[in-house]
Amino acid sequence: MKDEILRGLTDSVVSGDVEKCVEYAKKALEAGIDAYEAIMEGCARGMSIVSEKYEKGEMYVPEILCSAEAMYAAMEVLRPHLKVEHVGTPRKVVLGVVRGDIHDIGKNLVKLMMEAAGFQVIDLGRDVPNERFVDIAVREGADIVGLSALMTTSMVVMPEVIKEIKKRSPKTLTMVGGGPLSPELAKAYGADGYAKDASQAVRVAKSLIGGVA
Amino acid sequence: MQDRMTPAERLAAVLMGQKPDRVPVNPFILGFAAKIVNLPIGDLYADPRKSFRAQLLCAEMYGYDATPMYAYASFGAWEFGGEVGMPYEPGQSAPYIIRHPVESPEDVDKLEVPDPRKAGSIPIAMEIAKLCYENKMPVVFQAGEVLTTAANIAEPARLLRWMIRAPDVVHKLNKKVAEFFIAVAEYFTSTFGADKCMAFTGGPVESNKLINPRQFGEFVFPYMKQIHSKVLGMGVHVILEHPCSDQNANLPYYVQLRKELGWNGKYIWAFGPETPLEKQIECFGEHDIIMGNVDPPSFQFKSFEDVLALCKDNIERGIKNPSGYILGVGCELPPLAPPINVYALMKAAREYGRYQ
Ligand code: B1M
Repeated sequence: MKDEILRGLTDSVVSGDVEKCVEYAKKALEAGIDAYEAIMEGCARGMSIVSEKYEKGEMYVPEILCSAEAMYAAMEVLRPHLKVEHVGTPRKVVLGVVRGDIHDIGKNLVKLMMEAAGFQVIDLGRDVPNERFVDIAVREGADIVGLSALMTTSMVVMPEVIKEIKKRSPKTLTMVGGGPLSPELAKAYGADGYAKDASQAVRVAKSLIGGVA
Repeated sequence: MQDRMTPAERLAAVLMGQKPDRVPVNPFILGFAAKIVNLPIGDLYADPRKSFRAQLLCAEMYGYDATPMYAYASFGAWEFGGEVGMPYEPGQSAPYIIRHPVESPEDVDKLEVPDPRKAGSIPIAMEIAKLCYENKMPVVFQAGEVLTTAANIAEPARLLRWMIRAPDVVHKLNKKVAEFFIAVAEYFTSTFGADKCMAFTGGPVESNKLINPRQFGEFVFPYMKQIHSKVLGMGVHVILEHPCSDQNANLPYYVQLRKELGWNGKYIWAFGPETPLEKQIECFGEHDIIMGNVDPPSFQFKSFEDVLALCKDNIERGIKNPSGYILGVGCELPPLAPPINVYALMKAAREYGRYQ
């Protein structure tokens, strides 16, 4: 029964079926399944499958956006039922696309996967001025700042932002991603982490902060 | 090694199916030209006279064969009533969207097809076109990338979601965009004469980084065919088609387009580096010109010797196209490329791209 409901949640996230997803979320609560477990083992698992399918070319962005809609609808139902130990302060990620770059579809997928994994994401949007990343990281006491860039022309501002974050908010960790970046470049830029896609971004973020979101 | 033809003679030869002195070079330079003449990149997109002069001087300095034009990928938002910013700040390399004019399906209903004479960047494109015409160069106008334009109007994620949740809304918007592109084509061809014009089309949102080929077939193909057949019907003979980024899965549709248009006119195919030249030759080689697709980021990061080797390889493979080849770059040449790497294109064309 429990497995069936969790699988139902996962499948309806993958197929982007909002109604079914909400139905399974309600069923989960009725069956006494822990809301946190339903989110992690149902919704988040669904998003991981979606992300893997995108990387393999089995799913494309329009379908992913519908999966996201379904996942958020189920989370609305489940979140109010989270037990106190799971509603404690989630880890904060400040995320944005760097100055001069409006390619934000990839960043939005990273945000989605991070939220599914339990991070609180403060989304600064696209074409974000350097100072804004730093100011918000300081103001929010961010655990991680994630910088996305899709162009070789825009990614060059990253070392400057990272340096400033290290100076003004030494505890904040930084990670970078986006088409033209690589582990080598990330290292050269002084970033603490690099991820090539959205599901890897979650793994890297988790490993940076030593475990759970 | 000396060139024996002028850029105009060289291009004319390729278009007529003859062999020029060497392969022509079109490095897909936009923002880079501003850097070369020491202008802010914003001027390249906002000031037609400065833009024309920068593009002309850059081409003259290197000796490449492209002539000035006006196009950018965020096209559509401003033209349909939204707002774009011009890239004057450090780090910015092309116009960027500040406000999308469409936020809801109701907005799509209310959206009016703008008058091309006044719409957004079209007056700037027209000024550049006039300068090209006065200087006996081909007039290039942007026409055809319906889905990218619709995405710029409605915000990409919203439009992509509508493709599944509300496909009729996307079709409604696409129809208006297609109508606009046809009006733009009429405006340019009636001003200069169709024989003086060349259409440029190419959109990143059509790429398989975002949509699957079935979605391309439903939301792109019919509109592309409609616009292209109108443009060819107006008497425009050359279409420069740039399927941006990875469009390998869409390739059968591009072939279908050419077949259904009766292989009319001459297409210059400018695919991204993801599509092997051999595949392009197989698909279009009997009729159309292939533009090379050297990897753009390599111009920014690799050494002169490495870029030269990439250009040589591209020439050796592309020159086999029976209907002509132009050495080119797979998308816009990065504006931050070291100037010497652009010279690699010229050196390669002169040393490895000579016709006997
Ligand atoms: C913090 O941690 C992390 C971790 C992982 C992270 C991360 C952060 N951020 C991303 N990831 C990773 O996870 C994501 C999910 O798996 C992945 O994100 P991606 O973004 O890679 O993947 C997305 C899910 C899908 N991919 C995308 O959304 C990008 C697709 C391509 C085709 C693309 C698109 C769609 C667009 N574009 Co343009 N565009 C291209 C792109 C080609 C390409 N090969 O990427 C690229 C990036 N564009 C390019 C160019 C040149 C331009 N574009 C432009 C405009 C546009 C559109 C607006 C039309 C549109 C973007 C719409 C939008 N709102 O996002 C212009 C710039 C506008 C601006 N000011 O920013 C313009 C400059 C063209 C012009 N002259 O006008 C090229 C850049 C070349 C370079 N120098 O590096 C380009 C590579 C195309 C090419 N083949 O050359 C990973 O990278």
